[in-house]
Amino acid sequence: MDRRNFLKTSVTISAASLFPAPLLTPEAIAAVPERFPKPMTPTLDGDVKEFHLSVDIIQQEIVPGFKIHTLAFNNQIPGPEIRVTRGDKIRVVFKNNTELNHTIHWHGIFVPWRMDGVPYVTQMPVMPGKQFVYEFVAEPYGTHFYHCHWGTLLHMQAGMYGSFIIEDPDDPIKKQFNYEREYTLLYSAHDVNFIRKELNAMLDRMKERMYLMKHGRFDKERFATFDTKDELIEAVNEGYQPPYVTNRRSPSELPQPNWFTVNGKSYPVTPNLLIKQGENIRVRLINAGTEEHYLHLHGHDFWQVCDDGVPVPQPWQMNTVRLSPGKTIDILIEGKNRGIWTFHDHDTRRVTNNGLYPGGNLLALVYEDTPPEEMELNPMTKKMGLTSLPVVALDE
Amino acid sequence: MPKYYVLVNILLALVVAVAGQAVAEVTPEIQLGARGVMSLNTDIKNNQTTNAVSDFSDTDLMIGFRQKMYNRFRGQLVIGFQFPDAESDLGQVFFHQTFIKIEDKSNILKIGRSRVRTSLLDFPTLRDDDALLLTTVLNPFSNGENSEDHQYGNVLEYSHIFGQRVHFQIHAEHFKESPDTLGAAETDFGLNAVGLLLQYRVPVSQRWNRQIIQSVSIGTNNFLTDRPGYSSEYCQALKNVLFGFVINLKPDPVHFWDLRSQTVYNIGFDEVKEIGDFSDLARAEAIGNYTSIRYLYRRMERPTLQVALSGGYKDFPNATQPTNLFQVAGSLFYRIGFNFDVGLQVQYKEYSGDLRTIYGKNMTRVQFSLIYSIDQLWNNQFDDRESLLNLEHGYIP
Repeated sequence: MDRRNFLKTSVTISAASLFPAPLLTPEAIAAVPERFPKPMTPTLDGDVKEFHLSVDIIQQEIVPGFKIHTLAFNNQIPGPEIRVTRGDKIRVVFKNNTELNHTIHWHGIFVPWRMDGVPYVTQMPVMPGKQFVYEFVAEPYGTHFYHCHWGTLLHMQAGMYGSFIIEDPDDPIKKQFNYEREYTLLYSAHDVNFIRKELNAMLDRMKERMYLMKHGRFDKERFATFDTKDELIEAVNEGYQPPYVTNRRSPSELPQPNWFTVNGKSYPVTPNLLIKQGENIRVRLINAGTEEHYLHLHGHDFWQVCDDGVPVPQPWQMNTVRLSPGKTIDILIEGKNRGIWTFHDHDTRRVTNNGLYPGGNLLALVYEDTPPEEMELNPMTKKMGLTSLPVVALDE
Repeated sequence: MPKYYVLVNILLALVVAVAGQAVAEVTPEIQLGARGVMSLNTDIKNNQTTNAVSDFSDTDLMIGFRQKMYNRFRGQLVIGFQFPDAESDLGQVFFHQTFIKIEDKSNILKIGRSRVRTSLLDFPTLRDDDALLLTTVLNPFSNGENSEDHQYGNVLEYSHIFGQRVHFQIHAEHFKESPDTLGAAETDFGLNAVGLLLQYRVPVSQRWNRQIIQSVSIGTNNFLTDRPGYSSEYCQALKNVLFGFVINLKPDPVHFWDLRSQTVYNIGFDEVKEIGDFSDLARAEAIGNYTSIRYLYRRMERPTLQVALSGGYKDFPNATQPTNLFQVAGSLFYRIGFNFDVGLQVQYKEYSGDLRTIYGKNMTRVQFSLIYSIDQLWNNQFDDRESLLNLEHGYIP
């Protein structure tokens, strides 16, 4: 089989089996950038870079055949990547198109405290239909992210997160490793049943609360919002039942994530990292979820080069990196071992879709220059109707 | 009625085929609903006062199992039982809900024992049958002993939903037939009623903030009786027409007012001019209305206090002597814990004409009650059709 026929057959099989296109077709390679958050293009207002973010409720297809209602910045999960240069003056105009409250917290960025996006601490929540303007200077260098800080447990796992990359023209990592291509991977974990139930309940509550607000009938106890801790204590002493007491509204258990995504998708539609023999690539890992991940790359060691955006004094060679909630870690992969290699959480409970292995945050490091003959299957397997490696399997 | 038997048998065969090959791997959603309604009743009837603490009818327990099917449909099995009135002949326990339902976004098919469409609305009274003669189409096959005869039956229903709010339903039922001989068992379970229902209904999740209309419904019930002297099924059918509506008087999340009203017109049989027993009562031409006005106080986003005033009137225009029924009821429910209410209800009923021979002149009933209800769901896997997400942000099967 020549390469042209090989590619043609592969595409046909792909369409027939609902699997993503084989990893090395021109279409598949061209589609790879779409699986990473696209950087947003700012408008310039003098020397200020202005970005526009909005939030809506959308339907997100995590894998083919499975959709959920989610919250999304600019109708995508994750939200668009904001990529700026160190020292840039930034303005983000945030519009809330939902019936819920929101804020944006700039995780790891040295913003003025009133721009930090913590409701009731640094600002009032951005209420339905309203907008808020965040302004700050892009500092420090490195890989960071942004996320909603209202109802954080729900709103983050419902999709409100995005990468925020602050570049430096004199990038120390680039100097040291001489890479051209880089990728951003945002990890998250989702209890889709919690998301569904809580979103419905929150929408219900907010419809009522907005009605009351509109009619000037704010009620501290009903809204569970007090001026001071003493005021809350006094209210409790007088019989007020806070939402967290078991006879009022507290849920019976904490969320138990059952879906694990990278850039909003689970295997087999997770993004793949493309590399060539002899090439270095930089991968920015961001944990925007609530679970810890132990990310292991097959067939390679890699270099951990940054921790929370900060270049480490001495890059650390490893093949498994721990990515805790809220952490960002940059790794550098050297293309030294041609082939297709999986990169996945070694807590394999997170390599599942709704409890079924394989799934979750499984993805691949794919050498673009892997010869087709290396991917051939034996004749017996071909009789099964399969064409070449890698084969997408959903039920091992 | 062989044609109905064939249809029912085919559907039952399908159900049995599925049930015989159960696989345990996919855990269903499990729903548990329970309601306990215990009351102390004081009745004043014909100037005699009696007290009773034996009233715990409407207490029920239901368990449901629900799963996604291989396509866009969902399937559900519900089994439930309740404790009937102490004086009923239904025994200690009555299985009022035992059905299977299959549904998608726009279609619902239900088969089994369930609530029948003899009433369009639920009224804010303590018990479901507090105003039965006014709110419910009466089952002409019953001897009147059990209120459940008019509320539950073996049903076969198909509903189609146009958009999100217009429901069209065709339904057929087997209503319980009281045997002629005391103590004999019922042997014929063929369908003995058919009906239609057209309803505009705002989903529950959107009701409180609708400006005016919560629901408007019109329905018919046709009981396929053996009316002496008539041969066509149409003439033998006892026909009832129902019309009901609920409107929001003050759609406020804290101080909520609504009003609901239902009119039932029993076209009846011309030859029934005297009402000597329950059979006559169900077959005589009658028009009745029941209306409630309700105030609901929701202090902490949960019901705190509900006060309702209800009243109704029913007239039998074809009766030889003027015959009618008047009833008024006031009820108050106060929430003392999550899903735990204390209630007080006072009812007054007055009968005239032929009804006095059956029910007496009047009756006053005072009820003090404790009510506890739960509605719990485990293994939740998908959303309800009428959730806010599905209604306002696109339906996900």
